Amino acid sequence: MAAIFRLSSVCRRGVKPLFYQSALVARPLVVPHKYQEQHYQLTARIHASQALYGSSGSQAASLHWTAERVLSLMLLALGPAAYLHPSPVIDYSLAAVLTLHGHWGIGQVLTDYVHGESKIKMANAGLFLLSTVTFAGLCYFNYNDVGICKAIALLWSK
Amino acid sequence: MALLLRTLARQGVCLTRPRCSVFYRHAAPMGTTAKEEMNKFWDKNTKLNRPMSPHITVYKWSVPMMMSITFRGTGVGLSGAISAFALAALVLPGSYPHYLDLIHSLSVGPYLIGLAKFGLAFPVSFHTYNGIRHLFWDLGKGFKIPDVYRTGYTVIGLSVITSLALAYL
Repeated sequence: MAAIFRLSSVCRRGVKPLFYQSALVARPLVVPHKYQEQHYQLTARIHASQALYGSSGSQAASLHWTAERVLSLMLLALGPAAYLHPSPVIDYSLAAVLTLHGHWGIGQVLTDYVHGESKIKMANAGLFLLSTVTFAGLCYFNYNDVGICKAIALLWSK
Repeated sequence: MALLLRTLARQGVCLTRPRCSVFYRHAAPMGTTAKEEMNKFWDKNTKLNRPMSPHITVYKWSVPMMMSITFRGTGVGLSGAISAFALAALVLPGSYPHYLDLIHSLSVGPYLIGLAKFGLAFPVSFHTYNGIRHLFWDLGKGFKIPDVYRTGYTVIGLSVITSLALAYL
């Protein structure tokens, strides 16, 4: 912007045409570049504030991503915990964390390979049903049978 | 000068006032979301019945590629196995020790039992170790190609050793 002012003041002072011509050749290369830089900077700031206030898009996907990683860490911790302190608390925690981790994982696989509005909806509905049955089954096993930790111990003692 | 005047005229600017608001004219929010754009692409694609360009059939396989799809395969497989187990728990009449005794009575022999244990332990080990590798990537670490291969071979090695150890337990 400053360059534009400078040029217009140059024109008014009536500088020699030769100098004016060379200035013309040099400046247009510089001014649009500066103009564009500032343009992108401010646009970037606008988009940043939009993301924060979620007007044109929500933070749901980003939060989901973080939740997936947190859940993976929890599952990682449950492994040694189940080995060292098998108990009903660990059994039910494993049931919940395993089911949710699998549900979100298969969800990502479906997102990658299934395309088309209705197909996506059907696949996700089927997955939801499967995960519900899985969680119900694991809780039933924990309540009415030996429980996940004991089951693995028994299986390995073969 | 003509170029400048044209540029300014496009923006509707006058030379006297310093400009800030003109930049907002370029910052119009998108009319569609990314999801909508994606669905539009796929609807058009399926309607036109375009053939799929060969990709996995022509690209040379690499260790990172194979590890990645194995990670996905073990994940889906383990998830399926857990769901099958849960379904069986809901549907089958007997108790878990009862079915274990049934398998015991088959007297398969120690080698097959060891093999079966390895077969169960390897997917769990590989998926766990590679999952940790993924978590490091999520922190932004280990993306250089030599590191990718180094951590990859470490995961494979650890998985085999852990599975063997678990199978011998």
